[in-house]
Amino acid sequence: MYNTRVRGILIKGNKSFSDVSRDIIKPMDDKTPMWWWVTAFLATGALFWGVWGFYNTISTGIGTWGLNNNVAWGWAIINFVWWIGIGHAGTAFSIFLLIVRQKWRTSINRAAEAMTIFAVMAAGLFPLIHMGRIWDGFFIFPYWNTRGPVWDNFNSPLFWDVVAISTYFMASFVFWYMGMIPDFATIRERTTSAIKKKIYGALSFGWIGNAKGWLRFETAAILLGGMAAPLVVSVHSIVSMDFSVSVVPGWHTTIFPPYFVVGAIFSGFGMVLTLMIVMRKLYKFKDYVTDGHLDAITRILTFMSLIMGTAYLTELFMAWYSGSEYELFTFMKNRVTGDYKFAYWTMLICNGMIPQLFWFKAVRKNITIVFIISLFINLGMWFERYVIVVTSLSKDFLPATWATYEPTITEIAVYSGTIGLFVLGVLMFFRFVPTIAISEVKGVLKETSTLKSFTDEN
Amino acid sequence: MDNKLQIGSKFKMAMFALIAVGVITVIAGFLTGEATRTWANLLLNNYYFLAVALGATFWLAIQAITQSGWSAAFVRVPQAMGNYLIVSFFLFLILFLGIHNLYHWTHHDAVLQDAILLHKAPYLNLPFFAIRYVIFFALWIFLTQRIKKLSLKEDQLGGTVFFEKIEFTSKVYIFVLAISFSLFSIDWLMSLDAHWYSTIYAVKKFVMAFYHGTAIVLAIIIILNKLGQFPMLNKTHLGDFSRWLFVLSMIWGYMWLSQYLLIWYANIPEETVYYVPRIMGEYKNYFYSELIINWLFPFLFLMWNRVGKNANALLFVIFVLIVGQWVELYMSIMPNTIESHSITYVEIGTFLGFAGVFALVIAWSLTKAPLVPRNHPYLQESIEDGH
Repeated sequence: MYNTRVRGILIKGNKSFSDVSRDIIKPMDDKTPMWWWVTAFLATGALFWGVWGFYNTISTGIGTWGLNNNVAWGWAIINFVWWIGIGHAGTAFSIFLLIVRQKWRTSINRAAEAMTIFAVMAAGLFPLIHMGRIWDGFFIFPYWNTRGPVWDNFNSPLFWDVVAISTYFMASFVFWYMGMIPDFATIRERTTSAIKKKIYGALSFGWIGNAKGWLRFETAAILLGGMAAPLVVSVHSIVSMDFSVSVVPGWHTTIFPPYFVVGAIFSGFGMVLTLMIVMRKLYKFKDYVTDGHLDAITRILTFMSLIMGTAYLTELFMAWYSGSEYELFTFMKNRVTGDYKFAYWTMLICNGMIPQLFWFKAVRKNITIVFIISLFINLGMWFERYVIVVTSLSKDFLPATWATYEPTITEIAVYSGTIGLFVLGVLMFFRFVPTIAISEVKGVLKETSTLKSFTDEN
Repeated sequence: MDNKLQIGSKFKMAMFALIAVGVITVIAGFLTGEATRTWANLLLNNYYFLAVALGATFWLAIQAITQSGWSAAFVRVPQAMGNYLIVSFFLFLILFLGIHNLYHWTHHDAVLQDAILLHKAPYLNLPFFAIRYVIFFALWIFLTQRIKKLSLKEDQLGGTVFFEKIEFTSKVYIFVLAISFSLFSIDWLMSLDAHWYSTIYAVKKFVMAFYHGTAIVLAIIIILNKLGQFPMLNKTHLGDFSRWLFVLSMIWGYMWLSQYLLIWYANIPEETVYYVPRIMGEYKNYFYSELIINWLFPFLFLMWNRVGKNANALLFVIFVLIVGQWVELYMSIMPNTIESHSITYVEIGTFLGFAGVFALVIAWSLTKAPLVPRNHPYLQESIEDGH
């Protein structure tokens, strides 16, 4: 039994089932608001700039980037890892919070999963374009080879990446889509427009909400969820192995797989927080995404931030403890101090320290500050990847080859293009899909949202 | 619901017998010239039961910060396990007598001739080592006792004030434990081979503690249930516990893989040196059984839904895990101390002795408070779980 006296009301405003459907579907029936058009316009602009960056890269080559012999992985890989990290939140919400039975996830998981899909799409572009010869992109898939004895290098973590990420994308997409089927059916039943009825009718696969349907739906959700949980972990572990199977100081360290996974979920939750604050403001969803929901996310972020801070300290301590001069140089002379100290300290402060402000209730209750901190987390996690990718490559074992790295306008364009893609995707999601899982909210509504007195419970 | 546990005299006698076996084994070990082996076993078992107690209290703290309702009826068990920390503090003290047998870096003259040990000396030196040991134990004991006291006060006064205080203390405890137990594992286990290092080593030991600590919590609950306590225990609770074990088995396997795969792949001699005696030599069988027992078996077995809801099947899994943790620590400690492998009466007797102390302390602690907390805000939620 859910004790609302202690746990608080989950969905505010004493909603009935039909209130829930109406509230959540309302933004889809309303006229498209002005902010939507303005944001879509800006995002399209960014996307076009990105297309220019793509064109530039493909028609001329990787030479248009700021890479050099040493720093062969620049912004493209930083952004790839950053986006993949953000793409972890959705499934983390759906699965991990399910395991620890957090009912509040129902108001948020739909949007978080949508974010996952678009973030992974944005991420996937980078390795593809990084090949230079994008038309040979199909080489990375392990298909029956018709070009003679040329196979993928199965020993390469880059290849593992392809497998892990494409699997993850498919699983998250199916999981997300399946969750929407009952909601699509709800829209189909409610809408007055004949076209909408057709489209959402097709999307809902003829869902009629019978008992057998629900039974199978829930079994499938549990099965898919169970399979997606290890996938979440595997994806970023394998991304970390792109770095850690090497012998490069600062890359080769055994803590990398869990450290990357925690970082990914941390950045994903940061982005969820950013998005949720925007969404509940624009769509007036304060009854569904309550202050309590945001409070819960900030608590998780505090915990994650502590793990991140501990991981940073562990790395520093071990660099010293190892007694290896290369490790010591990389961490003490090329990260904590040296050319990249700005990036290093930005990372440390944004990820390890600023989120610690969430220990204070006053900070957690002030949504403006929470929003700003969530932006700092997004920034800090970008810098973490910058620190990892660039510092270790720029100064490795051979001082004669040391080089510095600056991104070119093309790289910046490609990055902004992926942001445009992500924002456009989210906008489409806002417009055409119920942003909160109607059926799931209804599932927890009765139990969690009326204030029972103490005497009822004891 | 308020019945306190009574310890039977048979149980007491049996535990005292186990302790006697342990003491005799240790004395015999020293007398028969097996000093290093005996010290290594004392370290193994000290660490073993400390990890179980810390893991259980960590599990308790996680329940508090995630506001888990289903487990509210069972919090007294991990709270009682926290009491072992006090005993553990004194049992660890014994090890200081044998510190030179175990840790190469405690030999002053050896350090002077070794550039790497000299570099590490500001951290790895006996006074600082002892200071850390005292600080860590003090923090653990203070915080776990505080959580327990708050919970007992809640029994008397009710309300949600104590509940909130427990949550806050749990957050602090988790933070403290993350850093302190990591350093503790580096101090007492990783520094057995002071040249070698791995950043995930302490994390893996942390997960081991969490994993096996949770298993022992469940074991105690099931056993007490068979003795007529915890009448509310049902299949949903068992299912929840088994899900914890299942997830932790995966995390444990993941930590194992992270360390092994990366060291194997990079193949740097400074790092592979750790695995060479463990894979190539006499320890080979233990190396693979560690992985099979702690990950593969629970992973496959607990995947079966019926197992997760069957108390006897779960007891069997926990029994295997008890062996598993021993094998893991055996693999961590022995190749760096006694080098050649053999299991003698010292291994078995010392373990039994420590198990006796542990069981006695837990049983005694369980009698000190009502087994089911009276005013936990989620108690009703926990009891009605699954109905």
